[in-house]
This record gives sequence, structure tokens and C-alpha cells, in this order.
Amino acid sequence: MNYLHLLLLLIPALAIAAIVLRACPKTTATVATAANFLLSVVIFFLYVQHQAANPGGSLMKPFDFDAPWAALPGLPTIHLHFAIDGLNLPLIILATTVSLAAILVSPADCKRNREFFSYLLLMSLGGIGAFLSFDLFFFYIFHEFALIPTFLLIGIWGPQNRSYAAMQITLYLTLGSLLLLGGLVLLVLSVPAEVRTWDMLLLQQNLLVQLKDVSARGDVYTHFIFAYPLLLIGFGILISLFPFHSWAPAGYAAAPPGAAMLHAGVLKKFGVYGLLRIAAPLIHLPTTSINDPVYVSWAGWAGMWQIILILLLVGNILYIGFVTIAQKELQTMLGYSSVMHMGYLFLGLVAFNQVGLCGVVLLMVAHGLSAALLFGLAGEIQQRTGENRMDKLGGLATQAPMLATFFLIGSMASIGLPGLANFSGELLIFMGGFQTYPSVTFLAVWGVVISGIYQLRAVAKIFYGPKPAPLPNAPEVTDLTFTARLPYILLIAALFLFGMAPQILLQIVQPSISKLLGGV
Amino acid sequence: MPYLAPEIILTALAIFLLLAEAYGFLSARYVGLWALAGVVVSIAVTLGTPVGPEPAFYWADPTASGAGNGLYIWDATARFYKFFFLVTTGLVLWMSLESATQPVASNAQPIRAEFYVLPLFVCAGLCLLASAADFMVLFVSLELVTITFYILVAYQRDSSTALEAGVKYLILGGLATAFLVMGIAYVAGFAGSTSFNAIYAAYAAHGKLPIAVALGLLMILVGFGFKIASVPFHLWAPDVYHGAPTPITAFLSVGSKAGGFIVLVRVLDMAFGPNAYSTWGPALSAVAAVSLVLGNFAALHQRNIKRMLAYSGVGHSGFLLMAVLSGGDTSIKSGLAEAGTTAVAVYLATYLLASLTAFLVITIVSRTQDDESIRSYAGLWQRSPILAGALAASLVSLAGIPPFAGFIGKLGAFTVALQFHHYSLFFIAAISAVAGLYYYLGVVKVMFWSEPLEVTPIEVSIPTQVVLSILIALLVATGLCMEVFSWLIR
Repeated sequence: MNYLHLLLLLIPALAIAAIVLRACPKTTATVATAANFLLSVVIFFLYVQHQAANPGGSLMKPFDFDAPWAALPGLPTIHLHFAIDGLNLPLIILATTVSLAAILVSPADCKRNREFFSYLLLMSLGGIGAFLSFDLFFFYIFHEFALIPTFLLIGIWGPQNRSYAAMQITLYLTLGSLLLLGGLVLLVLSVPAEVRTWDMLLLQQNLLVQLKDVSARGDVYTHFIFAYPLLLIGFGILISLFPFHSWAPAGYAAAPPGAAMLHAGVLKKFGVYGLLRIAAPLIHLPTTSINDPVYVSWAGWAGMWQIILILLLVGNILYIGFVTIAQKELQTMLGYSSVMHMGYLFLGLVAFNQVGLCGVVLLMVAHGLSAALLFGLAGEIQQRTGENRMDKLGGLATQAPMLATFFLIGSMASIGLPGLANFSGELLIFMGGFQTYPSVTFLAVWGVVISGIYQLRAVAKIFYGPKPAPLPNAPEVTDLTFTARLPYILLIAALFLFGMAPQILLQIVQPSISKLLGGV
Repeated sequence: MPYLAPEIILTALAIFLLLAEAYGFLSARYVGLWALAGVVVSIAVTLGTPVGPEPAFYWADPTASGAGNGLYIWDATARFYKFFFLVTTGLVLWMSLESATQPVASNAQPIRAEFYVLPLFVCAGLCLLASAADFMVLFVSLELVTITFYILVAYQRDSSTALEAGVKYLILGGLATAFLVMGIAYVAGFAGSTSFNAIYAAYAAHGKLPIAVALGLLMILVGFGFKIASVPFHLWAPDVYHGAPTPITAFLSVGSKAGGFIVLVRVLDMAFGPNAYSTWGPALSAVAAVSLVLGNFAALHQRNIKRMLAYSGVGHSGFLLMAVLSGGDTSIKSGLAEAGTTAVAVYLATYLLASLTAFLVITIVSRTQDDESIRSYAGLWQRSPILAGALAASLVSLAGIPPFAGFIGKLGAFTVALQFHHYSLFFIAAISAVAGLYYYLGVVKVMFWSEPLEVTPIEVSIPTQVVLSILIALLVATGLCMEVFSWLIR
């Protein structure tokens, strides 16, 4: 038993304390996130080693901390349960990488910098904690942890339209979280009192037993009928499922680059991870094995929600895709594009087979990295030119060649060109999708063409083409300095690494996915 | 009689302090400090008194037979609520001491000794209320509370808003009392007793209430609805909260509301049981839903922070009523499921912490009634980080965002609503909670990034800084270690 992974939470917490106690904000935050990044890499190698030593999937997880925490009246005991398995380890690596990059791109001398870096670290802590938790209560709490820092980051340091956007994103996400909370509580309450638990995996087992057991059936069906819409809409809002997406483009456009990177890259994956872990296995129940009218009608209800999800995900990919093409501001376009890419993740989830789900995990990591890269670079462009309308930009490639190269790589990743991580994720999802829903996948593939259109148009408008007449007194646009390149090099290196050799991640993801599918 | 200790200590101390001040032995400030000391002693005694596994009844009628016969009940619930009321009174006294150090406006009353003594009477009444097992005790203690509040609300008697508040509270309070007495009369007349247990014994077996008793119960519920400020009995709240001195507003919003809820829980649980829910359950859920929506959406438009908190308090009554609605399950003996009573207690405890923290900050920042606009909190973060931090923490806690305590209260209320299949109520509550977040965050926004109207730092005395830090720590600590509540209620 190894408790090394608890340091992932302890380090940012100590760093926040240090910053409050007057340590130099940016240095402390950088050291802490760099330490966290290295730690996650170490944990990755230890995990791979452990897996190699225990082929066939041992019962013990190498990193598993479980202690009873507290009991709420009427609800089961809450556990502090932090563990690592093949599903959350890729996301933790994503979170530590993006956190490091987000801290590095943030200017050390911004106003109220002590608060700024504390809030960024709190967001990072919330994301890592949510992925680490195997207890539904803390899974939820850690995600909510990040909500108020996001509000303050957008409100105090946002470049434009900040008050409105801060309020909108916070209210929308809170609505999603509250509906989600209702869904989670209903799941916990669905099983008889003696087997109630907040533990994700245990709860799922108990629910599946309960659903298939025709004789022992308490409140499970009445509660379940409401749990489905609550979980789907709750998680859907957090992931920006069409038509609950409008918070994302406006919020990301108004956020300081570091906050946008952390939110679009890491925190938004919370919902997908939750759907994958908790909700998806409950939608896909075998309908043939049990011959009971109530069960069959319930399975039909579950299937209906799946069809709704399929319709919405097509909306995510095609409708939002066309909306993205029409955008004029860079950050808003990137926000819509990140909404659009969520459609692929949903496709992988509804496909619900080995290939598709592996693709979901891979694309979550890839999209997190590429979205963070593009939001960071968009921030650099706006900081240099004071402009975020793409029509007013042009010819930046001659003035800032490095910036242009990085942005081009990010765009290629976002489109899904081979060699970069997004490609492998999308390919697996499409392969999985064709097995279950060929016609939907056929529609979804057109999304690649759409993202090609808007992403390349953006590159062309911003970096090539005629240079607009410079404003009087406008400072000369400079390229990225050597230190400013580091965060982007980090993200690009990760994109290439997972693109060229996706098996690095797949070797740990695959066994966990098999286990998830085996449970059903 | 250790079970009666807080009531005796508080009443005796209050009478002694009144006399001591009248004869000039003590200055007003020392009266306040003595009152605070009395409250602290009462807290120690209350927590030190053991509670048996079964409720103990005192002051029984020797001629009547049967267990559970008595006017006064001592159980874990009573101890929890006594502790709750004593803590509230302690913090209200602290606020009064704090506001006494501030300069007095020309037309305002200075804080005199009775301003510290009257809360002791209120507290004694509330403590007695927590132990009422009979409608007579309930009525007498409730009137002690209400009449003392009439005086306190109109304390600034030269201010027109205070007078308006006093008159409104007096008239509407009198109306509510009339409803309550009428209802008690109906119930007692038919049941032949005012004791909760006797009323339960008279009707539990029937499966339904006779029409007159049902009407009586309705009138009793109307009386309680006034206390807890639920829609449509909330009309007094905004004006009274606005006009009363800030410490008294705090006392009303926490003490009076909790007093209403403890009697509501007791009456529904002990006196009427499942019958109450089969008769008036739908009406109660309608009141909960309307309170949630109206309270939270009306608060959106408030410019005065105390009026905003008044409307938000109406919304909180809606959340609390969700937890009260956990009755009607005939498979359990009494009215409310244990989850319901605990959820009410936990919600009130988190509400106490958050609400009193907010009012303590308001006492310090808004020295006159002109300073109570939300606009005047602009840039508070620069003027005093601890005040802004405390107010932000308490408002976010009231909104129910983790890791603050308020989340635990909301979670309990939501769980109970879902457990008892009030799905639509849960949905209404979720929407209302989001509306609530809007105006709470509106204040946070003003404090953290609006341009300040003035930039002079606000001085906060060291003891008050300590109290504020403890309150912030408690807001976070109880939100994460919710075991505290189970321990208190056990």
C-alpha cells in the first residue's frame, strides 16, 4: 500500500498556505505545480511497474487510501477514499501538466498576484481532488471547490465583459452541480439502507445487483426514473452538452488565460469522467437476460435517455460546429470549438465498447492539452496586440514566428491530424462508434471537416494575410521569449508523445475499461 | 433541576442586572459583559447535563395516568436547541457590545443596559420553547419571546423606519398570536387536553383528524408560519429586518426562525403525527415551494443588505420546510422521520453560523441606516480583508457552496425531499438556490472588484477579529467535518 498520491493534494494546499503567508506567489506556485507534475510522472511509472508485476489485474490497487470520514444523518458514512486506477491516472497527468502550464503562462506581476496564484492553485487542487476521489461525496465537493475561485478569477482579472461572464458561468455551473447532486443522492438512496454507500465502485455493483434482482426491489425504480434526467442534465451542463453549452464560450472568452486553460482543459473533463465512471454503466444494461416486464420497461426508459443523448451529441458536433465557423473573436471561437469536441466524447460514451471508451479517455487527455495550448496562445496574442477580433489581426507570423508555429501545431491537434494525440483519441472513438451506431458516427465524422474549416481560417486570418494598419502608439509585437515558450513546449511535447505512442496511456486504460465493461 | 438551569440562570441574571443598573451599581457595558458571562455559563451547564436515551418528562399532572405526561420535555433535541439559542444570544450580545462602541448618530438612541438584558429574556423564552411538551408552555414561552421582541425591534424610537418596523411587527405578531390561540383552543377543546402526547393518543388510532381539529391545526400552522417567515406570512420580515437595530435583526433572523421551527417540529412530530401530513401535507409543500421561489427571487432586487437577507431568510424557510416534509410515513411511530428532524437541526445550525457572521460584519460596516445599501460594501476587500472575507464566507455558505457549512444543510434538505419523493420540490429548490447564489455573489462581486466609494480602512478590535476568525474557521470546519452536528444532536 502506497500513499504517495496523497502528496498530489498536499503540495498545492501547502503552496496556498505559503502564498498566504507572504511567500513569493509565482515562484511558489511554479515550484508546487512542477513538483506535482513530476510526482504524477513518478506515480505513472510506479503504476505501470505494478501492473506489469500483476498481470491480469490484481485486486489491490497500488495507490489506495481509504479512511472513514464522517456520517451524515440518513446517509451512509462518507469515506476519504483517494485511489488511482487506469481511468483517473491519465486525467491526473493531464491535470498536473495543464496546471504547470497555466501557472507558467500567468504573469508574475499582475495586480493582486497573491490572490491570483492562490485561486489558480485552488482550481488545480479541485480538479486533481475530484479525479482522485473514489467517494462520490468528495468527488462532488472537490469539483465545487473550484467554483468560487473561477468566479473570482474571471471577475477580478478577466480581460473583457468580466462581471457578466463570471456570474453567468458560476450560476450555470451551480445549476448543473445541484441537479447532479440530486442525481447522485438518488443513486445512493436507490439501494436498500443496509447496502447504501458513497463509494463509486461499490455503489455501482450494488445498483446493478438491485436492478437485476426482481424480488428485492425497494425504491430503486421510482428513484431511477428521476436519477436519469438529473444525472444527464447535471453532467451535461458541466460538460457543455448542447443545448446547455452557452456558458462555455462566454466564460472562456472573459477568463484570464490561466483560468481558461485550467477550466477548459481540466475541470470540464470532470463531467465526462463522471459519466464514464458512474452513469454510463447504468444506461447500458442487458435487456435480454431478464424476463420481467418492469425491468424491460425500465430498460426502455434508460434507452430513451440514450437516444436523447445521441440527438444532442449530433447537435454538439454539427450545430455547434457551424456556430464556431461564424465566430469573429478568437477566444469565443476556441470556446465553441471546445464545446463541439465534447460531442466526440459523448459519442464514445454511448458507443460503450472497449475501443470507444479507450478513445474517450485518450481524447479527454488530448483535448485538455490542446485546449489549454490554444487558450494560452490566444491570451498571448491578445496581450501583445490588445485585440481579439480575428478580422483586425493579420500577418503576425512575420512578427512572432514562434507564436505562429505553436498556434499552428495546436490547431492541427485540435483538427485531429495524425501524429498528435487528438487523432488517436478520435480514431478510436469513431471505430467504436461505427460498431454500435454507424449512421451517427457517419454524421460525427463531418465534424473533423468543420473543425478544419474554422481552425485553419483562424490561423490564416491571424498569422498570414495583410497586416492591418497599426494603431498609433501601439507597441511593437514581439515573439515569445525563451521562458515564455516553456509551457507551450511542455503541452506540445505531451501532445506529440501521446499522438505518436498512444499505447503509453492505453496500456493502463485498457484493463480498467475491461473491468468497467465486465461489471455490466 | 439541572435540566431547567439555563432558563433559571438567565431569568435570575436578567432581573438582577436590571436592578443593579437601576441602582447604579453597573454601567451599561458591564451589564453587557455580565449578560455574556451568564450565557457562557448556561452553555456549559446545558452541554454538561446528560440526556437519556428516552425523552424525560417533568411537571407531570399527578392525577393523569400514562407515560409521557408532562409539560416539560428534556431530550437530545431540547438540549441541541437550547445550545443553539444560547450561542445565538451570545453572538447577539457580542454584536450589541460592538455596536455600542461605535459613534452614535444625533437622532439615534445610545445602547443602554436594557438592550443587553432583554435578549436574556428572549433567550430564556426560547430555551423554554425548546422543551415545551404542552400547548400551554408553548404559548407562554412563545409570547415571552414575541413581546420582548416588540420592545427590541422599536428600540430606535426616534427613527421612522424603526417605528414602522415596531408597529408592523406588533400588529402582524398580534394577528399571528390570535390565530395560534384560536387553533390551540379548537384542538384542546376537541382533544380534551393541551398535552402533545395526549392529543397524539386521542387521534393517532383514527387515521384522520376531525374537521375541527384539522382546522385548529391549520390555524396553529399559520401562527408558526409567521414565526418562521414563510410565504404568505412573511410580509413583516423585510420592513422589520430593515428597521430594527442590526443585532436584533440577527436575533430575529436566527433565534425567532429557529424557535418557530422547533415548535413546528415538536407539534408535527409529537402531537399530530402522520395525520398532520395526510391532512395538510400538500399545503405545507405548497408553502415550501412558494417560499423558495418568492423569497429567493424577491431578494434579487434588493438594494439594502438587511432587506436582502430578510427575503433570503424567507427562502431558507422554504429549504427548511423541505426537511420538515419528511413525515406521513405510517410505518414509523411518530410524525417525522429521524432524517427529517436531524436535517432541520443541521440546516439551522449551519444557518446560525453563516447568518450571524454576516450580521456581525454588517454591524461593524453599516453604522447607520444610510450605510446599509449593498453599494456601500464596494471595495470592502481593500478596506478590511477580514470583514470582507468573513462576509464572503458567510454569504457563500448561505448559498450552499462547499466546502462551507451551508452545503451540508442543503444536502440534508435535498436528501430528505428526494427520499420522500418530493421530486418537483427538489427541482424548484435547485432553481431557487441558483437564484440565491446570484444575489449572494452580487455582494461578493461588489466587495471584491467594484470601485470603492471610500478607501479608509475599517478598524476592527482584536477580540472581534478573533471572534470573526473563529466563525470563518467554523464555517469551513463544520462543512468538512459534519460529524460535529451528529455529535451535537445525539
